[in-house]
Amino acid sequence: MDPLTDVLTALSHPSRRDIVRRLATAPARFTDVARPLDVSLNAVTKHLKLLERAGLIEREKRGREVFISLQPGPLRLVAGWMHEYERFWNARLDRFEQHFTEKKKEKKR
Amino acid sequence: MNASAKTLEFTFERTIPASPAEVFDAWLDPKVPGNPWNAAEKFILDPKVDGLFYWRLTTNTHYGRFTKVDRPARIEHTWVSPSTQGRESMVTVTFAKQGENTLMTLVHSDLPDTDGGRGHEKGWNYFLGIFPGQFGGDPLKKR
Repeated sequence: MDPLTDVLTALSHPSRRDIVRRLATAPARFTDVARPLDVSLNAVTKHLKLLERAGLIEREKRGREVFISLQPGPLRLVAGWMHEYERFWNARLDRFEQHFTEKKKEKKR
Repeated sequence: MNASAKTLEFTFERTIPASPAEVFDAWLDPKVPGNPWNAAEKFILDPKVDGLFYWRLTTNTHYGRFTKVDRPARIEHTWVSPSTQGRESMVTVTFAKQGENTLMTLVHSDLPDTDGGRGHEKGWNYFLGIFPGQFGGDPLKKR
């Protein structure tokens, strides 16, 4: 899947948004991430995998503990997707490209 | 807003099946669908350095001045609209030969990073409404 879809999927579940909010203040251990969520540890692992796939978190081993930190970079993809000019230019350029594709097809006929 | 305010930049690329000169000319030809001037209800277009453009779509007006017109490689102009809060943003379009095609790159930079810019749905909905009906395609599908 494309990176934007991965980020939107990652943010589509309230528990995963809670994790992102929690990690926005500081990195945390797995148990700290799991504790406030009212779900099984297995479910937390699955949530973390989706966040990791989107590039929103990183795991770092420090001694025996694994710390999870937020990587906010991919969130900009969402901001960009929502931007007026992102949509405007994509629509315009798609139409412009289509004009030439149609012209080329006509020439071939 | 001051000079140190955060700005956004977007880059778009398309491969167009024509020569750079053809693509360059089409981008400045209001009769060609897809360029910024084509959908305008009213427009003024003077594509030379220090030449000005103006276009209006419903109540949405855009203004700018050309800073570089270098056929067939490069067009640069400023872009002022309600979404830029009256400030000059910058649009740079380059055309590079790629075999028989042209790699067209459009960079829209110096856009203010505000909710006004991010939240606007009106402009896009207008185009979404027009394009699928007129051309039988959904512009979103390609993305």
